[in-house]
Amino acid sequence: MDVFTIAIWALTAGFLVFSFVKDKDKTKKTLKMAFGMGKGMLGSILSIIFLIGLVLTILPPQQIAVFVEKQNMFFATVVSAAFGTITLVPAFIAFPLVGTLVEAGVGIVPSVAFLTTLTMVGIVTFPLERKEFGMKFALTRNVLSFVFALIIALVMGVII
Amino acid sequence: MTKIFKKLKDNIFLEIVILGYIVMFIIKPQMGVDAIKNSGYYIKEMLLIMPVIFVLTALLDTWVPKQTIIKYLGSESKIKGTILSFVLGGISAGPIYAAFPFCVMLHKKGASIKNIVIILSSWAVIKVPMLLNEVKFLGVKFMVVRWVLTVIAILVFSWITSKIVKNEDLPQEIEEPTKGISVNHDACMGCSLCTKQYPELFEMKNKKACVKEYDFEPDEDKLQKAIDSCPVKAIIDYKVTDKK
Repeated sequence: MDVFTIAIWALTAGFLVFSFVKDKDKTKKTLKMAFGMGKGMLGSILSIIFLIGLVLTILPPQQIAVFVEKQNMFFATVVSAAFGTITLVPAFIAFPLVGTLVEAGVGIVPSVAFLTTLTMVGIVTFPLERKEFGMKFALTRNVLSFVFALIIALVMGVII
Repeated sequence: MTKIFKKLKDNIFLEIVILGYIVMFIIKPQMGVDAIKNSGYYIKEMLLIMPVIFVLTALLDTWVPKQTIIKYLGSESKIKGTILSFVLGGISAGPIYAAFPFCVMLHKKGASIKNIVIILSSWAVIKVPMLLNEVKFLGVKFMVVRWVLTVIAILVFSWITSKIVKNEDLPQEIEEPTKGISVNHDACMGCSLCTKQYPELFEMKNKKACVKEYDFEPDEDKLQKAIDSCPVKAIIDYKVTDKK
């Protein structure tokens, strides 16, 4: 557990104690509310996690790296950005992963495109996002994130 | 029979995943085991962060008044709101979908679409907790350039999103009002708190809360309690809203 996760736990615990001292009933209701939220999302989240596990087993990132390496830069960038959209991956997994790609010889541009879409754009998680925010918001956010992932990557390629 | 069919249809996503695993175990059992192992890792990570995010979201929902959220994260919050959104997203841990309920709550309380997009995006990829990791794996120069470019990109596309998506586009479809009380089914997460607060008025149908047919005058206190208990503010009483 990193220090920030611990900090969030500590902050929440403190907040909870404060809340409990201030108003017992309200706090009970709040906890019930949190439990309700968890119950409402649990099914979707578990499905997503098991799907991520499945996808990463069928398409290991190392194999993606081998494939991307052989392509010209522009094609490689679009392909790696597209691979990244399959699902939303937490940053703590994405960064080491992209680190290995760079070490394996994949260029900066495709790597950054991959990193950005990997963490920001998710097709697998799309139904969950649509349920929470509505079709228009989810679609707009994902499409724009994809386009800007390519832009960020290309600009980085020029600078670095 | 139709009930079973409906249930199957509601959980179609889960069923596809299960089917995927079954196929995997038949073709390549070893890969199936690996996939489960991979997932186990993610589940552990999720359990470390999701419960606390839910509790924090509920606590903020209970204690932070709507006016405060509007002031700091609403459409009039300007640069202050933008910075706060980057900070909120940037210091958080966990995957972006952990941010979904948190952002839905903020939006219901008056945060602007632009700020919601900033929180979600920085939650994904502008990670202060991951700073050292990024430097370790990718180098200082890489990190600095990427941060600057990504922040600029997020500013631009959150602005574009706010031009395309309006508040009304987010889930708030309202069922036919029954004497003024209704439940927004897109927002309802099926936590069934309202049915516990006021069982005479609310019931669960297909994992969503519904207003029962009723011919009595609802008890104001109990109704208000039910409305307040809803984590996503999906219960709407037209009489009350009209007064405001």
